[in-house]
Amino acid sequence: MSMNLEQFFPHARPWVENLANTFPGKYVKPQFAWWEIGHILSLITLGGTTILMNLRLLGAGVTDEPPSEVYRNLRFWQNVGIIGIVVSGILIGSANAERLYDSAAFIVKMLALLAGVILTYGASRPVAKADGAVSLPATIWFAIGSAIFLLGLGIFVTSDLVNVGVYHIITAAAFLVLLVTRGRLRWIYLGVLLALIAAQFVGTHIVYKGDDYAHLNPVNKTFTVIFSVWILGCAVAQVVRAGRDAEGGALTRIIAYATILVWVMGAAAGRWIAFA
Amino acid sequence: MIGAFLTWLEHSLGKGPAPDAQSWSEALLGSLNFWDLLEGSHLIGLMLFAGTILVVDLRLLGVTFRGTKVSVVSDRILPLTVFGFIFVVLTGLGLTFAKPLFYYHNIFFRVKMILIAIALINILVFHSRVQATQDSWDADARPPAKARVAAAASLIAWVLVITCGRLIAYDFFECGKPHSDFINWAQECKTSEKGEVTLAGKRL
Repeated sequence: MSMNLEQFFPHARPWVENLANTFPGKYVKPQFAWWEIGHILSLITLGGTTILMNLRLLGAGVTDEPPSEVYRNLRFWQNVGIIGIVVSGILIGSANAERLYDSAAFIVKMLALLAGVILTYGASRPVAKADGAVSLPATIWFAIGSAIFLLGLGIFVTSDLVNVGVYHIITAAAFLVLLVTRGRLRWIYLGVLLALIAAQFVGTHIVYKGDDYAHLNPVNKTFTVIFSVWILGCAVAQVVRAGRDAEGGALTRIIAYATILVWVMGAAAGRWIAFA
Repeated sequence: MIGAFLTWLEHSLGKGPAPDAQSWSEALLGSLNFWDLLEGSHLIGLMLFAGTILVVDLRLLGVTFRGTKVSVVSDRILPLTVFGFIFVVLTGLGLTFAKPLFYYHNIFFRVKMILIAIALINILVFHSRVQATQDSWDADARPPAKARVAAAASLIAWVLVITCGRLIAYDFFECGKPHSDFINWAQECKTSEKGEVTLAGKRL
């Protein structure tokens, strides 16, 4: 299965094809590389600030300061990152519209952007500002943002050719859980994770050879599910074990996980637009 | 000598006896998804590496976390930065291994390597010279000029590294196209597989 904008707006193709010849696409195209660099720099600014603010909600990173202080110091740069990716994204998109129109990864990226903005401004930032306390509006925004995030993830997972990009989200989640788990849980988590990686390598390099796609495909899909279940399970264990403290409870931490991972999904989907 | 080594790396290392056998480098480049995954991971790793170094540099510039000690910001954030750096270096090495000759003859790659060296030297200078007196300005909202200069140099260097990294993908200065003598010299086009072509169209 593969979903793209053409399936929803089939009559828009002539308009999309002409976008690169009109304002602003016509003017962006000759400097496409520079706008793309601006997009990446904005993404990096957003990434750094989002990771640090939400790690603080997970009890890691700049733990010497309360979450509200971390939020106060990073909010401006987070705004710069988000405005930067939206503005540069619209401009490079207008110069490259036909490719986006046919791309499943672009739909995932747009859903990640929407979910990212909702989770960041509706849930994560208000929660950080309140030092971890989750208000009712933040809970509602989290529910809406998460539903869009999961819809995007579902499309990513089920789209032919681009679904491999889901491994970026799994990898980011794996590192995130490793970073925030403590004590024996961390070592058990890491040990099983390494064993799973070794098992996947054996399955896809020794049991089945590199060109045996008929067998490799189900093996890789099975391992994708196993990795996801293991990482998610350990994340839940970490959230439950951490319990409730002065800086929030389980929902605070779930919001933090989701807000980091939704932007990773946006970045991953954006990169996979170029690959498939 | 470097060119010969990279040619061996790209075309011979790991190659079996079969006529259609691939070297490890060719297999990586031709893999169905692995090269794409490496490239995507390199970019996402930058969000952690460069994104966190940005915050540390902004603190040194006195722009953010002004009420937090510099040592607190660096002690808490730099381990994440180092982790991100190792991740982007490993994925970057994988990407380079897939196309060593292409990168070797690419001017943006060469400039990127020089800029990374400058950024790393800047870190060494910061740790050996600037940090020696950190106790006296650790809590200052606006650190001294030498710390701010180091932070500005770091920011500029990493922005340029990322800029050059992205420009590698573009064929503005690809060998085999007509270029000035300087460009042809700077990326050693004469020894590349596509050769050197002067602005007058003469192939050397």
